[in-house]
Amino acid sequence: MKLALGPLLYYWSREDTLAYYEAAAGWPVDIVYLGETVCSRRHLLRLQDYLGLAEKLVAAGKEVVLSTQTLIESESDLKALRKLVKDGRFLVEANEWGAVRLLAQANQAFVSGPTLNVYNPDTLTLLADMGAKRWVPPVEMPRDMLAAMLASGNHPAGMETELFGYGRLPLAYSARCFTARHYNLQKDDCQFKCLEHPDGLTLRSREGEDFLTLNGIQTQSAKIMNLAHRLDELRSTGVDVLRLSPQFRHMERVVNVFRALLDGDIAPAEATHRLDRIMPGRPCDGYWLGEAGMAYTGMQAQA
Amino acid sequence: MQLPAFPAPLARLVTRLPTWPTSWAFAAACNLAAWPTLKDLDWEVVRGRRFRVVVKDMGLGLFFSVTPKGFRAERNGLADVTFTATAQDFARLALRLEDPDTLFFNRRLLIEGDTDLGLMVKNMLDAVELETLTGNMPGPMGQALNRLRRLALAQQPV
Amino acid sequence: MKPLLELICPAGSLPALKAAVDHGADGVYLGLKDNTNARNFSGLNFDARTLAEGIRYAHAKGAKVLMALNTYPQPATLARWHAAVDTAATSGVDAIILADPGLMAYARKTHPNLRLHLSVQGSATSYEAVNFYRERFGIQRAVLPRVLSLAQVENVVQHTDVEIELFGFGGLCVMVEGRCLLSSYACGDSPNTFGACSPGHAVRWEQTPKGMETRLNGVLIDRYADNEKAGYPTLCKGRFEVQGETYYALEEPTSLNSMELLPEMARLGIAAIKIEGRQRSPAYAAQVTKVWRAAIDAVKRSAETFKPNPAWMAELNKVSEGSMHTLGAYYRPWK
Repeated sequence: MKLALGPLLYYWSREDTLAYYEAAAGWPVDIVYLGETVCSRRHLLRLQDYLGLAEKLVAAGKEVVLSTQTLIESESDLKALRKLVKDGRFLVEANEWGAVRLLAQANQAFVSGPTLNVYNPDTLTLLADMGAKRWVPPVEMPRDMLAAMLASGNHPAGMETELFGYGRLPLAYSARCFTARHYNLQKDDCQFKCLEHPDGLTLRSREGEDFLTLNGIQTQSAKIMNLAHRLDELRSTGVDVLRLSPQFRHMERVVNVFRALLDGDIAPAEATHRLDRIMPGRPCDGYWLGEAGMAYTGMQAQA
Repeated sequence: MQLPAFPAPLARLVTRLPTWPTSWAFAAACNLAAWPTLKDLDWEVVRGRRFRVVVKDMGLGLFFSVTPKGFRAERNGLADVTFTATAQDFARLALRLEDPDTLFFNRRLLIEGDTDLGLMVKNMLDAVELETLTGNMPGPMGQALNRLRRLALAQQPV
Repeated sequence: MKPLLELICPAGSLPALKAAVDHGADGVYLGLKDNTNARNFSGLNFDARTLAEGIRYAHAKGAKVLMALNTYPQPATLARWHAAVDTAATSGVDAIILADPGLMAYARKTHPNLRLHLSVQGSATSYEAVNFYRERFGIQRAVLPRVLSLAQVENVVQHTDVEIELFGFGGLCVMVEGRCLLSSYACGDSPNTFGACSPGHAVRWEQTPKGMETRLNGVLIDRYADNEKAGYPTLCKGRFEVQGETYYALEEPTSLNSMELLPEMARLGIAAIKIEGRQRSPAYAAQVTKVWRAAIDAVKRSAETFKPNPAWMAELNKVSEGSMHTLGAYYRPWK
């Protein structure tokens, strides 16, 4: 099983972002996803910057994938998307169907991202015909459904499966920016408040429970999805790549724990124990078990 | 339109009525007026579940279940779902003059307990055609209700 | 000739369908009694008998029937969605409204003459996405998510042959439809797979000394004082605490009402206006259809002089969440 560093979902300063990817070049991950998937107003890194990072990461032996913006609203969004597709040197992760169309027209292989809503083999086959070589299931897909997908008679040959295995879950996208709203600002004049919240803004229930995370137009879970303790199941189900979604601090340690786990150097219980200490929130694993996403079963009650 | 408000003295009188006989009378009235139509619905899904209807301006509580033979008043125990509104609003719902969600948004209807059961019953009743219901009612009752409804609709501003 | 401002109204039951048709809907949309559509609530929707009767009634009065099959088929139950498409084709509906490309491929192959609409659950917000479905499956109409400003809608319209349908009134999804997992994060069931947001089994309302509490799978999502208006028990309309401040962090309980934009929508050549609310009763179908019929007729008579009648707006506010309305994303500052 390979390890992937998912696209950075937050908005960090240019220095922090560049330092992060410079460091990541030395981390034991196989694949690095680059690019702004959340908000078109985040401009501290442009496509040229990402392409520069991509070259460095490739030189460091990583496979690089450029991720497209999930919510396309304007002609300038489309322009940016076309530019990204046109470069053509790197694999692209398509996060909506407009990108799929453009990539297929350009005869480029691509990764089908988690927001393409692939819930059945027919849709996955269609994507394979259009050039997808890897797919990321929706983050809510339970183990049993994924198993049925992969066991299906028409599962496309050679299609890699990448699972969201660690990090705050991206749950929803809106035209409205909730971070700007929190500061009583309009989106068009957001003053880039996301920069002040490198792990997003925590939203609590009125009973004080950490519940969701506001990240600009994206809403995430407050809890951290963690499937380290389910490694054996992930393997037997047929997961080829495990995606780790970036957090502001301790990401290198997160990567190292997963590397050690995948290499058999530490047991799942030990990995879970170590991750608990560097996770910026409580864990959850409900989606994998077909329950509410926020639920957590953890090490107990494993088959 | 305003259906006549429930007169206060009568409300005070009704408040003193014990639940069981009122529930019994309610069940009997429903069985007479509505059961000929409602018996065709799929009540299997709500078999054994108990409903409480609280008419808050009358201080009246009705407690009943639905059996294969019709409505049955219940004496003791807890309701699975409770609907609370005024007599006026229950009447408007029954006559299809008002949408339950609208009343809920305006805090004029409260559904407590098993929400899914409440929604299911609401949706089952919505699926009944009013003309069928009133057409099957005994004597002039159905015609009277149809007239009342037409009168109310004619008074709406739009 | 392309249609202009057809009025498409919700039908959660046969009486609601008849109410919508009787009050002037050009078309109604409906779903079957299972998770093949995104209003899979207990007791709602159509079976074989009511579907046949509904189609007969609507067609007799010149109204179209569109069937929503707009959830995402899953491997273990794929046959259910295929059967639903077959049912739609043989029952004589005028179009089916789909979100899943795999299901579109099935419909296209099995029933080549069946008209396909792209559901809002397909999350197509650009003409590139809309044209993808056009090229691959020949979709004839797309319902756009409630996230675009009117200028952005215009850009889509100008770059596609596909008819565009917009939401005019009703419940407002704050998130891009089809890309919202808030419900399943809290309670395990999502619109995409289960066909409902905040399904009844996860919702609890309770009158407490502190106010009426709404819980979703145990999570307190709002508490209303006695005089406060309420909204649906969806997470996006809940009140939460962010950095010590408790407020409607995502959106207030409010409904979409775009009536004042009708002249502009007419100018853009919007094919149809969709009214949300299959979960609501026949009374709602009647009230809202009547008002929108009058408004659309007035726009078609004279777009230049059109102004929403205050009595119409009052009637619509009455049935709205929180008794309030918003232009949503159509009006850029909302974002």
